[in-house]
Order: sequence, then C-alpha cells, then structure tokens
Amino acid sequence: MSSWSRKVAAVALKSVETPPVRVLNPSNDASERELLERIAKSKDQAAFRTLYGNYYQRLSRLLSRMSVRREDIEEVINDTFWVVWTKAADFRGASQLSTWIIGIAYRRALNALRRAKIRPVSDEPFDEDSISVESTDAAETDGQWLAQGLTRLPVEQRMALELTYTLGHSCEEVAAILDCPVNTVKTRLFRARETLKLVLPELAGMSGDKA
Amino acid sequence: MSSRIPDTHAEAWALLPWLATGRIAPEDREWVESHVSSCAECRAELTAQRMIATQVQRDGGVSPAPAASDEQRSFNKLWARVEASEAATPAVDARGAVGASRSSRTVRWLAAAVVVQAIGLGVLGVSLRGSGTPDNFETVAKAEPRINAPAVRLVFAPSASMSTINTLLSHQGLSIVSGPGAAGNFTAVLSADAVASGASAESVASVISKDPNVTFAQPVAR
Repeated sequence: MSSWSRKVAAVALKSVETPPVRVLNPSNDASERELLERIAKSKDQAAFRTLYGNYYQRLSRLLSRMSVRREDIEEVINDTFWVVWTKAADFRGASQLSTWIIGIAYRRALNALRRAKIRPVSDEPFDEDSISVESTDAAETDGQWLAQGLTRLPVEQRMALELTYTLGHSCEEVAAILDCPVNTVKTRLFRARETLKLVLPELAGMSGDKA
Repeated sequence: MSSRIPDTHAEAWALLPWLATGRIAPEDREWVESHVSSCAECRAELTAQRMIATQVQRDGGVSPAPAASDEQRSFNKLWARVEASEAATPAVDARGAVGASRSSRTVRWLAAAVVVQAIGLGVLGVSLRGSGTPDNFETVAKAEPRINAPAVRLVFAPSASMSTINTLLSHQGLSIVSGPGAAGNFTAVLSADAVASGASAESVASVISKDPNVTFAQPVAR
C-alpha cells in the first residue's frame, strides 16, 4: 500500500470511527416503563410527575420546531399526557415508550396546527432562491443560519431532522412517530439535508454532489 | 462484508444521519461503515451531517426553552384536570386498581356531597318560602321560577370542608339548586343581588374555578 493510500485509509477510518453525535435527553426506556406501570396499576401521581418532567422540555422544543403556537404548546403537552394517564394500562410495549408518547404529541400538534389554520404538511419542493446570500452570510456569523434554514423546511422534514438529530431516534422509530414508511423518513431527511446545505456554503463545499 | 456493498452508495447516503448519531440499525452498520470507509463523498457527507446534527441540537427551536416554573404550572393544570375527572367518576375502579387512600377520599367526598346537598335544599326552601305562594310548593327537580337565573356547574374538591363550601357559595351569591349529579356535580344559581351587582355565570365560574376547593366550575348555558 502506498503512502497516499495509507493516508486515505487512515482518514477514512477516523471519519467512520468518530464517536456518534451526543444525543440530547436520551430516554431510558426501562425506567420510564416502570413509571408507566406505576401509573397504570396505582395511579401514582409521583410517577406521573416524573414522566411528565422527562418529556416536558423535549416536547416543548419539538412542538416549537413544528411551529405550534406558544399558547398551544402547553395544551398539546397536557393533552398528550392526559392520554398517557388514561391509557397507561393499554400500552403493550410493542414500541419504545418514547415513540408512543412523542407520536401522540405529534398527532395532537398536527390537529392544533389545523385548528390554527397553519398548513401542517407539505411536500412542495423547497424554493432555493428564497434564501439570499446576504442573509446567509449574516446568519452564519451569529449562528442563526440553521434556524433560517429550518424554518424554510416543510414541517415533516423538520420533524425527521429534529427526531433524528436532537432526540436521537432511529429511522424506524421516526417512522413510527410520524406514522409513515421508513423510506419516507429517509426521503424527508435527504431533502432536508440538501436544503440545509444551501444555507451553509461551507457544508455545500464539504460534501460532494448529490448521491 | 455484505454482497450489497457494490451497489449501495445511495442507500448508504440515505442512512448517514443515523450513522452520525450512532442509531443506525445493527444490521446496516457494518456495510454502511464499510462503504463509507471507501467512499470519499460519503465520508465528507458524514462529517457534514455531524456538523448539522450539532448545530440542530444547539439551536433551541423557535421559542425559548420553558422555565422549570412553567413546567410545574403546566403540570398543576393537568393534575387539576385529572382530579376533576376522578371526582366526576368517583365509583371504584372496576379492576380494583384504586388505592385505599383514594377510596377513603371518595367516601369523604360523598359524605361532603350529601351534606352540601342538604344545605342546598335548605337554602332553596327558605328562598322559595319567601318568594313563592304557599300552594306552589317547589322541589329541586321543579325549579322553573329560577330556571333562567345565571347558573354555574360545580365540583368541589374532596378535601373541602362544609364551612369552606358555605363561605365560598355565599361570597359569590350562589345557591345550590341541584346535585350531586351522576358526575358528582352541583348546579348553583346566582342570587338576584349578585346579578344586580354585575356578576354573571361566566365571571363567577372564572373566579370560583381558581379556588383550590373547587375542581370544576363552568357556566351553564341558558
């Protein structure tokens, strides 16, 4: 193996072996199932409060990312946990508890968006011209470039991104939460990735052409 | 090494976000990592996705993160809803899952409800004796003369004492005219004086619903 080949191989190995991105607020499914069991069996308020606390920040952020109005976020979270309280005994454990809870919140949020007449789902292609070079440059300096890009993504792409990168769900779990096929999740994330590259020239240059 | 590798660039590309977070399916990890190690384009994309993932996590979302006090306040609202529901269905759970403390609370609530009902009937009797004709005796079920008076539907907290309930009702100019209903609720009407002073079913329900001794208060549509 030539010196150049060894160097490429070393870089490739380093890239692949880099530790995965740390996920925020990872769920501990086993301990949360215990909490749910206490809720189901003995209507345990302390367990309910703990479970609520485990999800409050996560759901607030997720719903905010969905563009649910601030005044509706609390209602969606509480409606979600009302279902958790009343249906705790019905949870059969076929999926992760977090998938169940976040899936409920997602559907409630879609209803809230419909009530507010905010179009919740769109598969329209992203308008690349809508992001100006000027705003990108300004945003990049203060770290807002991503926020700009995210607001331009259709909500289902935003959710796929948020569920994957912030909450650390697998592709299959994201599909379960969004109630869509796994391939649809991959497609949504693929489109989101391409769109975000438009608002970060550095990324556009870092990665090659589309696959 | 999987036989899928020679034809998997697009598939690996699609799975890079989950390789970046470590949540790629175990059955995919080996062949995707193998492909990435030999594909400069995928390596660059993997690096790009790690950067995006980090930025997405840093970006807190559209609204600022809620404070801890917001969380507690929200939970208190939810818990009040739970308690109102429990009070409205005081019957023992069919599966026997309700604990002893909840059962005793139900018994206390029922006892309080009976006393409140008796007081309500007494108040109503005095009221009717003062305004109705002697041969026009009215019962709780026959309250037509006051049917159009502003009314509020109430559920009291199980811990509320009789004196507290009495004070609460008199302060708002309310008189119980029916209850407890099947859902444990009472209906109370506003006195003529309260109405004359500007009170409405909506305003009274709004005020009284904030009292910790009341778990549910709603104006009755007329």
